[in-house]
Amino acid sequence: MGRSDMKSLCNGNMLGWGALILAFALVPVLMTSQYQLNVACNVLIWALFATSFNMLWGVTGMLSFGQALYYGVGGYAIGLTVTYLGSQWYFAAFAAGLLFTLVLSFLLGLLVIRVGGVYYTMLTLAFGQLAWQIMFKLYDFTGGDDGLQGITLPGLLANKVYYYYFVMILVLLAVWVLKRMAYSPFGLILRGVRQNPNRVRFLGRRVRRNQLRVYIVASLFATVAGALMAGVDGSVHTDMFFWTTSGEVILMSVLGGISHFFGPFCGAVVIILIEDIVGAHTEYWSLLIGSIIMVMVIGFPRGLVGGALDVAAKVRATLQGAKHDDTTLTAGLGK
Amino acid sequence: MAGKHGWKCLAVGLLSLIAVPLAQAAAPAEKVIRIGAMYPMTGRPGLYGMDSVAAAEMAIDEINAKGVAGGYKIDAIFTDSKAKPAYAVRVANRYIAEDKVHFLFGVVSSGVGLAVTEVSKQNKVIFIGTDHAATELTVDNFQPYYFRVSNDTFQSMAAGALYLKEMAKTKPWKKIAYIGPDYSYGHAQWDELRYNLDRFGVPFEVVGEYWPKLSDPDYSAYITSIIKDKPDVLVAGFWGGDTVAFIKQAKAYGMFDKLTYFHPDAGGNYELMSAMGDELPLGLILSARHHNNWPVTERNKKFVEEFKKRTGRYPTYAAEGAYAGIYAIAQAVEKVGNPDDADALVKAMEGMKLNLPEDPEGFVSIIDPGTHQIMQVQAIGTTIANADFPPAKVMLGNWSVYQPADIFVPAEYIAAKRKK
Repeated sequence: MGRSDMKSLCNGNMLGWGALILAFALVPVLMTSQYQLNVACNVLIWALFATSFNMLWGVTGMLSFGQALYYGVGGYAIGLTVTYLGSQWYFAAFAAGLLFTLVLSFLLGLLVIRVGGVYYTMLTLAFGQLAWQIMFKLYDFTGGDDGLQGITLPGLLANKVYYYYFVMILVLLAVWVLKRMAYSPFGLILRGVRQNPNRVRFLGRRVRRNQLRVYIVASLFATVAGALMAGVDGSVHTDMFFWTTSGEVILMSVLGGISHFFGPFCGAVVIILIEDIVGAHTEYWSLLIGSIIMVMVIGFPRGLVGGALDVAAKVRATLQGAKHDDTTLTAGLGK
Repeated sequence: MAGKHGWKCLAVGLLSLIAVPLAQAAAPAEKVIRIGAMYPMTGRPGLYGMDSVAAAEMAIDEINAKGVAGGYKIDAIFTDSKAKPAYAVRVANRYIAEDKVHFLFGVVSSGVGLAVTEVSKQNKVIFIGTDHAATELTVDNFQPYYFRVSNDTFQSMAAGALYLKEMAKTKPWKKIAYIGPDYSYGHAQWDELRYNLDRFGVPFEVVGEYWPKLSDPDYSAYITSIIKDKPDVLVAGFWGGDTVAFIKQAKAYGMFDKLTYFHPDAGGNYELMSAMGDELPLGLILSARHHNNWPVTERNKKFVEEFKKRTGRYPTYAAEGAYAGIYAIAQAVEKVGNPDDADALVKAMEGMKLNLPEDPEGFVSIIDPGTHQIMQVQAIGTTIANADFPPAKVMLGNWSVYQPADIFVPAEYIAAKRKK
């Protein structure tokens, strides 16, 4: 890649980030009701959760069905601390949740990465469901299936607009960090692990150590997402730990496209909006999502972003009368 | 370069985030009482949701045909809550901010109810609970903008304790066991029954507690344990399809010949009678929050028949709660003169008397001002042959009726819970 290409790419990136920040920053200014702020918060948080999940699946090839565990840890770290100790402990709870995830994901990671493929997926599912069952059973402490309500936020965060900006800054910062990570030498090793673990070993890199690292990283960011969600709804529920929550991020990733960094982000935006807009008019919203997923899998196996890029490339090729250049797509992780 | 196009895709997605809700915003109609209802429409609790929606629409049509004072009409929006608290919270927020509803309404799951009551409290929008039964909503988590128009588990269990007390005179019993779904609803019923047995001075000995998970397909291990533990009375806390599955499986083991089956909160739902037909054993002691064949009043008959006419099926108990909720709203707006003053509506609803299908002759339901919980009679019956409500071949009869004054949550219980 030449210097001018690099410069153009940087400019493109800067423009992209600028547009992303601007779009979300304008939501409180343009919104016609507080509800749109709520939807935007949901979009941002689920986008972070899905993006962090895709570091495992799309980048490293580790399909985890148990990331809801860490999302739930984040939510309940805030929920339990604020309920029992008060909202002044909010930031301490945030840190405690991350610390707990760090230790838990390290210990569980050591176990789950020992197996690969479907066995890894089943183990992550089993640990996730175990955590859900524990939270469900501890009625007196966690509220069981009733969950915890009345989670208040400290100081300025109690204001919904300020809290939105807090969520926005943290999420965009986290996505930026994840993106840097995905394209760092560490990210290249992870992609190597997905494509051919033996080659990574021959290159002198440790496969399991890198798998453990990305498992911990993805879990930490899932915890950030869960902790932020506790403040949006003012309540947490054991559903946060349930396998369907893990299923939702898988769905978002498939819809957006797992081979593109922003695929899961786009998938989250689309799923939340469909759920919201279609769900308001019919109880058959899940039929629509099911149909869309079916069409996507058959017609656009590389997701919304992959499909859109294909279409754009074809249009460009038709307009220029030239064959389209598909170099980035074949690299497996477009920007 | 493909990277730039990825950004473009993301930008389009984000723009739609802003543009679509803007396009959706619509000016509210004039002179309309807007209700935002949430019910599960799919999955296992779907029947409860569908019956609630049909009954609410029936009440709306009846009221709109007459008109509410001041020329108001009722308009309700129904959304599938998916029985998920987090999603229901989003729907409730949308109802308040976008649809400008005057009332939040409905909800089958207590977990969802507890989440939505928080939204109601924060936004000072009245939430009418029509089906969920957790006592916490009106006791521990009480907030002024919440009202419930169907009996809670405490009232069912207090009536149950009184029934067991009377039963001991004719059919002595001492050993009791409990089976219920392993989540808050199941545990709350058992705690409240024991509290009320102690309160009414009923001696009992617990010989077993069994906690199958919700929607457990196989109860055989529990059934054999129950038969081995030999309780005189088995109290059950299931609801919906779980009741049907458990009774079908227990019948095969001959369990009902060995003990008295007692299911006072949701056991007497018409769903059980219609699902089991003549397979439903006789002599089971059951109750529910509304019965199609009790009380035998014109009001109840009309409600049941009208519902049948609209839907082609007889209602489950959830329907009457939704029907009652719409009438409560209409009556409150009638009294205040407009649906916009939430605080005035709260005052109007406190102590409000409502003449409902489940009220026997000479009784009217009343909303308790201290808890915002409706006070209604609770009728417990036993299963007897009755083919008047097909496809059911067995219905409840031999009624024992309990007055709200005897079964309502006592002041010391409320004080102790709220102190926590």
